[in-house]
Amino acid sequence: MGVTSMRRRGTLKTGLLPGGNVALEKIGLTEEDVRDEIMSEEQDLVKELVTMSTRECIQAIRDLPMCMEDKKNIRNQVLASKSSKKGFLLTCSADCSEQISLSLRRCGVGLSSARQAVRLWQGTMKEIGGRFGTSVLSYFSFLKWLLMFNTISFLVNFGFITIPQLVQTSGRSPDVRFTGLELITGAGYFNQTVMYYGGYINGTKDSDFKYNMQLAYFFTIAAYLVLCGVSLIYSMARSFRRNFVLSDLSSGSAWRLLCSWDFSMVNERAVRQRKNNLRVQLKESLSEMMQTNFLPVSERMKQLGIHLCTWVVSAGLAAGSCAAIYYLCQYNLQQIKVSQNPGNLKEEASTLLLPFVVSLFNLVIPLLYSLLSKVENYSNPRFQIYVIILRNVFLKMSILSILCFHWVNNVTTNVPMCWESYVGQDLYRLVIVNFFFSIFGSFFGEFLRRIIGTRCMPSIGIPEFDIATNVLDLIYAQTLTWIGIYFSPLLPLIQMIKLFLLFYLKKVSLNRNCQPPRRSGRAAQMQTIYIALLFFPSFVGALSLVAYTVWCLTPSDSCGPFQGLNTTFEAVSLWMEDTAIISEFSWAVWIYSHMIKSELFFFLLALIFLVLIYFFWQITQGRKMLIILLKEQIINEGKDKAFLLEKLRTFQNLSLVPYHAENVHGPQYFERTYQTESDYSEGYQRGACPEEDTPPFASSALMQAMMARRQAEEEDEEY
Amino acid sequence: MGTSASQLPKDLLSEYQELTFLTKQEILLAHKRFTELLAKDDRSCSNPRLPMSRILTLPELKSNPFKERICLVFSTSDNKDGSLTFEDFLDLLSAFSDSATSDIKSHYAFRIFDFDDDGTLDRKDLERLVNCLTGDTDETRLTSDEMKQLINNILEESDIDKDGTVNLSEFQHVISRSPDFVSSFKIVL
Repeated sequence: MGVTSMRRRGTLKTGLLPGGNVALEKIGLTEEDVRDEIMSEEQDLVKELVTMSTRECIQAIRDLPMCMEDKKNIRNQVLASKSSKKGFLLTCSADCSEQISLSLRRCGVGLSSARQAVRLWQGTMKEIGGRFGTSVLSYFSFLKWLLMFNTISFLVNFGFITIPQLVQTSGRSPDVRFTGLELITGAGYFNQTVMYYGGYINGTKDSDFKYNMQLAYFFTIAAYLVLCGVSLIYSMARSFRRNFVLSDLSSGSAWRLLCSWDFSMVNERAVRQRKNNLRVQLKESLSEMMQTNFLPVSERMKQLGIHLCTWVVSAGLAAGSCAAIYYLCQYNLQQIKVSQNPGNLKEEASTLLLPFVVSLFNLVIPLLYSLLSKVENYSNPRFQIYVIILRNVFLKMSILSILCFHWVNNVTTNVPMCWESYVGQDLYRLVIVNFFFSIFGSFFGEFLRRIIGTRCMPSIGIPEFDIATNVLDLIYAQTLTWIGIYFSPLLPLIQMIKLFLLFYLKKVSLNRNCQPPRRSGRAAQMQTIYIALLFFPSFVGALSLVAYTVWCLTPSDSCGPFQGLNTTFEAVSLWMEDTAIISEFSWAVWIYSHMIKSELFFFLLALIFLVLIYFFWQITQGRKMLIILLKEQIINEGKDKAFLLEKLRTFQNLSLVPYHAENVHGPQYFERTYQTESDYSEGYQRGACPEEDTPPFASSALMQAMMARRQAEEEDEEY
Repeated sequence: MGTSASQLPKDLLSEYQELTFLTKQEILLAHKRFTELLAKDDRSCSNPRLPMSRILTLPELKSNPFKERICLVFSTSDNKDGSLTFEDFLDLLSAFSDSATSDIKSHYAFRIFDFDDDGTLDRKDLERLVNCLTGDTDETRLTSDEMKQLINNILEESDIDKDGTVNLSEFQHVISRSPDFVSSFKIVL
């Protein structure tokens, strides 16, 4: 029997006795009968618990929805019966293993409490969740999650690539002096350090330091990206299953609104505001359902026309910004060709123009998009949010793809020095300027808006924290970091510092300038969407760019660990050729040549996966039909149950002593105010006495069923 | 806080850790907050009981619209006055903690929403639930038409066996389809 049945038993005591003795007498039961029944259920529960292992037993007792006293009672009974059983088999080994498992359990508990104590920002996040609700909190948890990705990347890169390089080149210092501008432009002093690809050299040939920098560089970055991909797919799938498949997708569902009341909200004003918002939302959803959606054809054509226009305008804006950025990139390249002395400060500062323009477009055009969406009329506010997110993602990804195209096509051929370091510097500048623009965005979007909203134009009011824009900003910055890992291995450090500072900045701005969001709910589904956006197009795009660079592009000749090779991947091929000589690793060489290098293998793999997907899709279709059939079955069984109970009651009333029959009219059923066409309900309606304390339908049914089962068991025992 | 009664004995602490979803720090913090709320002379009692009025002064419960129902549901006192012993308090925190299972949370949520304690959520219970969450004064209440329509919608969605009430299994089924429930049914000290 499963844990579910145990839990049902656990609810017996709580479900029955609150009805009171009066209710029980009406159905012909005494309190003793009820208590006997409860005792026997408890004994069955104890018997089941004794058969489980100690860990499962503890977990099962913890899962029981009873008060502490009852749980202690059951636990003592279980321990007593276990020790009495053990009295027969007192072996030393059983005792020892029991002690070991007990101490292991204590260790595990101690570890988990220690882990909870050192969790970063635990108190702050609880405070934010208490004041602003779970949807705003999801932004900060997302930020924390990205911080973890970057920390792992930095540690891995630093440990396996940077430290060996620093050990190798200790004693050599760059010949350019440090000016403060490097922190922003990333060029100059940083150019020849381990910050960028160019600072790494494969030293296996000329020194006796046997560290193959080529393989280390390639495999560290590959392993990190694979780890990222796996964890993103895992989180995405788990979140999708929890929030989309198992959840109810109908919009404005009343239950979902009621059940999403945030119990952790502590602020009095926030609670009042939340109640207001909930009322408004409930009224809106009611009016939505009652409204008829029959618009005339001309109206619908007009709506369609407006939608089409706005889409064309937004695509045009994105295309325009991409073209502007592309021309600016070409101009930058030409400047490099023309420039005579590479150390000129003015020229280095002019390289900041490109990131500035990119971030400006990323800040301004989404504002234009939200203005456009006000012109359109969306029936469903959720749909509106999806459209805004889609447009913003499209804009950001198209800007990134034009930059990647420029780097891959033009930079590799036209830059005289290390083109990888040049790309790394570009990315560094983009990340830093993006950070400054986040600060500005916070300042203008929240601080100034609050000032305007409270002092100058009170009709606008205090701004809400715009979760979508901020999360998309985070995703964009993370995409830049993932692209930049190959070209600048220490870029995750910059991103880490940036995220750390951004957390505190956003927290301060939130507390001072924003109010809790008006629309509640759907935080979980938006979370899934953000994780999905982080995977595709962000991670997949970065991965494909790095893969293309590694597979197809020629590394520059004058710098970096891969100088002299035709492609970066050639380092692995050469290594495989070297290991082919050693006979112990022939299996590795076989795997490499027959699985990784052959196309037939991947083709077959893809074919097998397609067949499996089709198979699982058919299974889901079958399960959907099964759910419909089971729901119908539940309705039918409810009807059968009501019919049988009515029969049972009539038989019991006939067999009861006349004293009881006088005082009892017979159980009154609830008058069915719920309008369904159930043809059995009329037969069951009697004269309703609303003032009388009627026994609850469900629990009296349960008692009847239990009594019937006890009688049946007693009859069985007699045979 | 210098008396020895304010310290939890170790065996009780490990027993509480086994029986609830709380960690050791959370149990100690709960003990500290509980003894702070006790009146001075109650502290030396063997199993002191906090009256409901004192529990409702906790900042985590003060603005909660279900504060009285929560105290009544978790109270084990015989006269149903909502007073809590320390073990009841731990039960409360355990059900509302981060690591409690969705089944426990939905079970207790059902009992909290069941205003008349009859084991099912009928129309009156649902009406009181909506009023609790939207405000109880005359200008903030929903009109009776809107309320009727809303409750019809709720019952249509969740009443699977069509008996006009929502019982525990139907409630748990609805909860399992609302992914926001588990993360919002939380109270942390």
